[in-house]
Amino acid sequence: MGEELAPQRVTLPGPFAVGRYARKLEEEMRRRARVSLIGEVTGLSRSKAQAYFELRDAEGAIPCAIWLNDLEKLELPEQGLRDGTEVVIGGGPDYYRGGAQASPSFYFRATHIRLAGEGDLLARLEALRKQLRAEGLFELQGRLSRPLLPKTIGVVTAESGAARRDLLAGLERRGWRGTVIWAFAPVQDRHAAPAIAAAIQDLAARPEVEAIVVTRGGGSLADLWAFCDETLCRTVAMLRVPVISAVGHERDSTLIDDVAAVACSTPTHAAEATVPLDAAAARSSLERSLGILQRAASGAVGGRTPHLVSLARGPGRALGRERLALNQKTREMRAASERGLAERLGFQRRLATVVLERAARRAAGPEMERRREGLHRAAVALRAHEPERTLERGYALVEGEDGEPLATAAEARAAEVVKLRFADGRVRARPERDGGA
Amino acid sequence: MAESERDPSATVAPESYESAVERLEQIIDRLDSGQAGLRETLELCREGRDLVTYCAGELDEVGESLKELRLDELAAKLDQGQLETD
Repeated sequence: MGEELAPQRVTLPGPFAVGRYARKLEEEMRRRARVSLIGEVTGLSRSKAQAYFELRDAEGAIPCAIWLNDLEKLELPEQGLRDGTEVVIGGGPDYYRGGAQASPSFYFRATHIRLAGEGDLLARLEALRKQLRAEGLFELQGRLSRPLLPKTIGVVTAESGAARRDLLAGLERRGWRGTVIWAFAPVQDRHAAPAIAAAIQDLAARPEVEAIVVTRGGGSLADLWAFCDETLCRTVAMLRVPVISAVGHERDSTLIDDVAAVACSTPTHAAEATVPLDAAAARSSLERSLGILQRAASGAVGGRTPHLVSLARGPGRALGRERLALNQKTREMRAASERGLAERLGFQRRLATVVLERAARRAAGPEMERRREGLHRAAVALRAHEPERTLERGYALVEGEDGEPLATAAEARAAEVVKLRFADGRVRARPERDGGA
Repeated sequence: MAESERDPSATVAPESYESAVERLEQIIDRLDSGQAGLRETLELCREGRDLVTYCAGELDEVGESLKELRLDELAAKLDQGQLETD
């Protein structure tokens, strides 16, 4: 027997009486294998005889039901079964064909429920970790460049919590007083992961935000489970702004730590990683360095009169003398270079850079200490090379009429007028045409 | 005296604190090598002083007082602003 269904004119078996079909479906469903499932409880409600909920993870959900009789026998802890808990349920699919007064429905009929233990969560975490690693999502954030001195940072955390206070204290200790944009979000329940992901995206959408910190205090893996959420972690991995995570304590390892640019053990460490430069130390070092440079540049006031008199008597002779002195200085510098001084310094700097980059991935503190020292060293080294320093020691610099330095005898000979620049001023001189070496 | 390796970017403002510090280190390396000629040495010292000044300026920008803003308030202001302009 067949039935033609207009307008497509499809021929199908039937029509069968629906009640009979429903009973067959029911039988078929109940024959399916019994399994155990793990997921998060959402939308929990109770009728007189049953409890209903959805078991859910990032990929999908199943409607579930358990007889209250069965539930009571399980002796779950008080408030154990509630929205947001991770549970393992045992049972199989069921179809209720309805009745004269009752609507039909599909459920996964649970007969056993237990709260997911650390082991269950760890196993799930490991599977997720493997998957995200295979997709290359662990490397993306690490490739972003992090600013040494951000001016604005975004922070996702609970409004009331020690993490917020600790982070602020860490930034203060860094001497950093830029702009913090707080994005407060729940950090532990079923609303946490989507709220955190939304907060991170909103912060990243603001062009002034240069780095984002995600932080909360310690807890059990179940407490921190929001930070292992697949969607949240995928969001972080794909972000173009570096994310610094500081979730839980040292021993806690959440999935967000794997995808973030930097994972820190405490909010204080997060402050250091977010503002790698110790602004307080760098500031005082710079001020010192700047003072030194300015003093060197302005030149020392010294008695150069006898030297000036001798120069006035014989500019040609003086020129020769100054050239000899400058040549001597050049030879000394070359000799130093040949002894490998420059190479050793260069090698040490390169080595320091490599070590610093490695250190930065763990804690930024030691790196910044080195950078601060480096900056100071740079200023001191600069000072040593200031021509003004050489002038202070009694050398003179030969300049053309236009103030451009004349570095060779030929240039000096060719000039109509030269200026001899001393630490305390300039003297005009006319080279003798036959003067020379 | 060699006048080579003059950096054409010498007078361009640094992009960031990082690049300023990096350039400063390059300058020191060059000066340390003893190969910089007279003109180059003068230019490098001037550039070095400018870089130190720039770094100090950057530090000043995050040295005044900590400013705390709330994302939800910023978003609300933005919405309000949009409504007003509508």
